[in-house]
Amino acid sequence: MMLDTLETLCCLSGVTGGEDEVRDYIMERVMPHADEIRTDPMGNLMVFKKGAVAPAQRVALCAHMDEVGLIITYITEDGYLRFDMAGGLDRRILLGKRVFIGPDRVPGVIGSKAVHLTTAEQRKVLPELKDMFIDIGAASREEAEQSIRPGMLASFDDAVVRFGSGYVKAKAIDDRTGCAVMVELLESDLPCDCWFIFTTQEEVGGRGASVAARNVEPDVTLILEGTTAADIAGVEGADRVCRLGQGVVIPYMDKSTIYDRELCATLGRLAEENGIPWQTKTRIAGGTDASAIQRSGTGVRVAALSVAVRNIHSPACVAKISECEDQCRLARLFLEEMAK
Amino acid sequence: MSMELKELTKALCALSGPTGFETPVYDFLSDYLKPVADEIRTDSMGNFIAVKRCGKPNARMMLLDAHMDEIGFIVTDIKNGFLCFENLGGVDQRMLPAREVKVLTDPPIFGVIDTLPPHVVPASEMGKAIDPKKLYIDVGMSQEEAEARVPIGTAAVYAAGCGELGSNMLCGKSLDDRACAAIIVKAFERLAGEDLQVDVCCQVSTQEEVGHRGAKVGAWTMDPDEAIAVDVTHAQTPDAKDVPVLCGRGAAIGIGPNMTPSITNRLFALGREKEIACQPDVSPRGNSGTNADVIQVTRGGVTTALVSLPLKYMHTPVEVVSCADMEACCELIAAYVEGMEV
Repeated sequence: MMLDTLETLCCLSGVTGGEDEVRDYIMERVMPHADEIRTDPMGNLMVFKKGAVAPAQRVALCAHMDEVGLIITYITEDGYLRFDMAGGLDRRILLGKRVFIGPDRVPGVIGSKAVHLTTAEQRKVLPELKDMFIDIGAASREEAEQSIRPGMLASFDDAVVRFGSGYVKAKAIDDRTGCAVMVELLESDLPCDCWFIFTTQEEVGGRGASVAARNVEPDVTLILEGTTAADIAGVEGADRVCRLGQGVVIPYMDKSTIYDRELCATLGRLAEENGIPWQTKTRIAGGTDASAIQRSGTGVRVAALSVAVRNIHSPACVAKISECEDQCRLARLFLEEMAK
Repeated sequence: MSMELKELTKALCALSGPTGFETPVYDFLSDYLKPVADEIRTDSMGNFIAVKRCGKPNARMMLLDAHMDEIGFIVTDIKNGFLCFENLGGVDQRMLPAREVKVLTDPPIFGVIDTLPPHVVPASEMGKAIDPKKLYIDVGMSQEEAEARVPIGTAAVYAAGCGELGSNMLCGKSLDDRACAAIIVKAFERLAGEDLQVDVCCQVSTQEEVGHRGAKVGAWTMDPDEAIAVDVTHAQTPDAKDVPVLCGRGAAIGIGPNMTPSITNRLFALGREKEIACQPDVSPRGNSGTNADVIQVTRGGVTTALVSLPLKYMHTPVEVVSCADMEACCELIAAYVEGMEV
């Protein structure tokens, strides 16, 4: 089931540059269904599966395995951890959050002095990132060093909650939803041959994808993503970017890519023909692996099919479950179209 | 069934009891202490009061107090399915973006306090706290669904429990003051099995976070001769280096006008005699900001001490305390009551 796969994937730790856990899980899941599996020095996972037909063009689906998180930079004398961001975060979501650090998942919390001890002015601003810290309950640097080294990655609390009328909350829905769709497709019979590219380091600028695109050399690539929904209370009109409950998102452009018009139109048509609600973005925001892939080698035609995600790049990403399922349906319809 | 101090604390922190809505904590405590208490009572404020009588004529009464309420939220309106809320007690607004909460409907529902994606937020805004008026709880419902499920006036709490951190710390929501409730409950359990010279009352009071309201009524009703208020106190953190109290250094004993010197001095002496780790916690103002404020001036006056548990990140969902400090507080309080004369 798509949702079970998504939930399992969201619980894995795959902060940018440390995607091993996610890659190992996916590899194990898809191994029995793959015709070819490759990895490369960037840690990308590239899986080929034969379908009913071999299209003239080489078709690829692409999702990124990495998630935003933190990287430990220093251990203080009294046993607290300093950190920096791995991927783009709004530091306003950090205070009072739980994290798990390193391969042994050492629990920690991002502390902040009690509100009672702050001035009215201090309460209006966020501490600088360099002044924030993680408390792992260690009393000294020596104690902390028993389990922590600078360079270790920290991921957010991984509790998955289904709530409301068909919503799911988890960390890393961006982009485990795309990974889940690809795993589901790999476990089914395909309408055409397809490469499935699971990339690394998307959150720091499509670094994995730029290499993976060279290694696969696709002609057409569909990016499967989780994207920025700003449809929270108090935000109106175009500023909402995209809205949960309004369907899968087919962007025509974002900050780093102008998507292939014909492919966008095809996706929209397939959605309408099959009763899948869809929307596009009402502001040019965000970016995907498409930018690295589109301009790789002799050029690649790219489109994106995304799920709207609230609180993206936070421990409390929220998505509509039916839209994750629709992302999977429409991706399959896209492959059927490519088979023609 | 009796629980160890650490486990009891975890169980209490898992309960939802924001200021004014503490019933689940009352019910738990009532079941827990029923086997050992002579009396269990409540009052119009919802305080939990367990009494152990020593059986001596005209016995004096010792009141142990901790509060059961925690900070939280209360739903004030619903807009497009999102819940508008205000705070119950002193909430740090900076803890709220992308925060998970439990909305206390029956059964409770899960919610998230939404925030904008960083992709559309100007970098200059990211250093500023979000205006609390722009924060809403997302329960994944339409206006109609939310109106049907969430009555205005429903309370909410942080959706965090309490777990272990490091080798001997606890971390979670509402350790202020459930950890101290656990301390006095365990002390009471121990004292209930002993031959004492005084009556002991274990009061776990309501509405401390909005001004010590429960304790004021409870102390009046119980009319104690002596009292020990047990609450948390700020411990030093990397961003509050000037705080002298340290996590892991033992029970913090309050010193100042709100605390009667005779009992305070006796507590320090006991700490030395019995090798219980203690540290001073100077509170120079007339009010210590705890239930001791109101208890000390109840009726004709009460001989009052304040024993505090050092706690980091007070009023956040990730409060941190040391289990060793909790044990020290419990030991010190029990030892004091055991030594009380007729």
